[in-house]
Amino acid sequence: MIVTTEHLSKWYGHVSGLNDVSVTVGEGVTGLLGPNGAGKSTFMKIVTGQLRPSTGTLRVFGEPIWGHPEQYQRLGFCPEQDAFYEQMTALAWIAAMARLHGMDQDTADAAARRALATVDMLDVAERKIGSYSKGMRQRVKLAQAIVHDPQLLVLDEPLNGMDPIMRRRTIRLIRDWGREGRSVIVSSHILHEIESMTSTVLLIHNGRVVAEGDIHQIRGLIDAHPHQVSIRAQDPQAVARHLLGGDEVTSVRFEEGVVVVETAKPDAFYTRLTRLAASGEAGPIEEIASPDDTLQAVFSYLVKS
Amino acid sequence: MNGPALKPAARIFELALGQMLWGRRALFMAVVAGAPVVLALILRLTFASGSAVFIVNGNRVDTESIFTTAVSVLYLRFIVPALGVYYGTSLIADEIEDKTITYLFVRPISRGAIVLGKYLAYLVCANAVVLPSAAIVFAIAVPVAGMGRLLEMLLQELGRAALGLAAYGALFTLAGVSFKRPLVGGLIFVFGWEQMALVLPGYLRRLTVAYYLQTPETGVFVLLAVVVAAIGASIWTIEHREYVLQQ
Repeated sequence: MIVTTEHLSKWYGHVSGLNDVSVTVGEGVTGLLGPNGAGKSTFMKIVTGQLRPSTGTLRVFGEPIWGHPEQYQRLGFCPEQDAFYEQMTALAWIAAMARLHGMDQDTADAAARRALATVDMLDVAERKIGSYSKGMRQRVKLAQAIVHDPQLLVLDEPLNGMDPIMRRRTIRLIRDWGREGRSVIVSSHILHEIESMTSTVLLIHNGRVVAEGDIHQIRGLIDAHPHQVSIRAQDPQAVARHLLGGDEVTSVRFEEGVVVVETAKPDAFYTRLTRLAASGEAGPIEEIASPDDTLQAVFSYLVKS
Repeated sequence: MNGPALKPAARIFELALGQMLWGRRALFMAVVAGAPVVLALILRLTFASGSAVFIVNGNRVDTESIFTTAVSVLYLRFIVPALGVYYGTSLIADEIEDKTITYLFVRPISRGAIVLGKYLAYLVCANAVVLPSAAIVFAIAVPVAGMGRLLEMLLQELGRAALGLAAYGALFTLAGVSFKRPLVGGLIFVFGWEQMALVLPGYLRRLTVAYYLQTPETGVFVLLAVVVAAIGASIWTIEHREYVLQQ
């Protein structure tokens, strides 16, 4: 097993961030699914040694990680926060991160170029990070996590802010990393995203793991709840016009430059949305996001039952 | 910190130096260090044109006095502490506030190396700006004929400035790793407490950096001890403290 926790808890003062979590994570992709504030980020920060467990034990590659920086030679982390050294170019920044893994300058440059090519960012690698769109910034974050070719990847909401096409590419990339034998822990509050990467999930709610295992068991529950998708586009009306033709769309409304679509068939809807973005028929689609109302409803059901 | 740990510190040093030179604080440093040069130039031109004579307590003030006053008042009491506070508190606290510290914490280097590398980058950067600034003020203010005689004084003053940058920087690096918003406290310390304590009778002035800068014979050893202790405490703190970044 790559990651093992036993009765792991984390308290922030009197507030519980994680409560008695005992799980194991092996090779392949494991989805960490839960609403915002469920404890996903806390779990990831403990697994990556940024926070210390209040009680319980954590082993990464069989060893503790807090106070053991040598472990990061085998671990890559993509944080949720949109934080960067804005004045640096992506290439310079990622090469600098690679240097911290002990690489000399030439090796670090080559590794940075490889990582940026993997996330389709090599052509803009010499631009300042401050000039990137949200989706490009997400990809740069992924690149810094893989620059040293780690065995364990921990990705906190890596698809946030990506456009549909990049989302599809990144999902494929994550799946490939899992197939190559790496261990990938990826968090999301969107079931559809997780489902497209893996069937192995940890469901986390209010700091507790409420279920773990196969994703299909909760699939039926999710389908019973309408799913909302918020789409930011240059021409929201055109996007709405194109989407309204399909039977998977239940309703459409507009909110400050975005079109919010409700669907009972998220799989079919996302497939159609990706096609629409690729065709460019409705103009550029800049960002898609999904509020976690749906997941919250499913979790409330799971917790009650 | 052993040999192998110095290599990661050197890499952090490279990264931090670039950020300091091109970061948002570089302009502040340039203005702070450039102001005395401009002031010296204005005074020099005023003297040269013969349009003004400075009389203090009935004595004409010469350029030598202007230089020593500039160093002791402007540099040691204002510029050096200001840079120490502004940079020292930001070395780690800015990374925490900007949430970029995560990228450094998930690398195979000790957290102590991050502190050490950043502190050394600050020292190089601050000295590279302040010492030439003071030297330029000296060159402007002191007549060519008197330069040789006053060169030893210049070197002593530059040494004091460097020592001050090291001591203030180390103290406020410790504040930066220990507190969430250290800048205000730092400013109160240097421009409130230090100014007040220096004029109070008794031993309170010994609780200031400025006092030891004024008494270089014994002050050197005290300030070097302060640097070692503060950086050591900073390394210990960052190695043991959890930094909870708000989402």
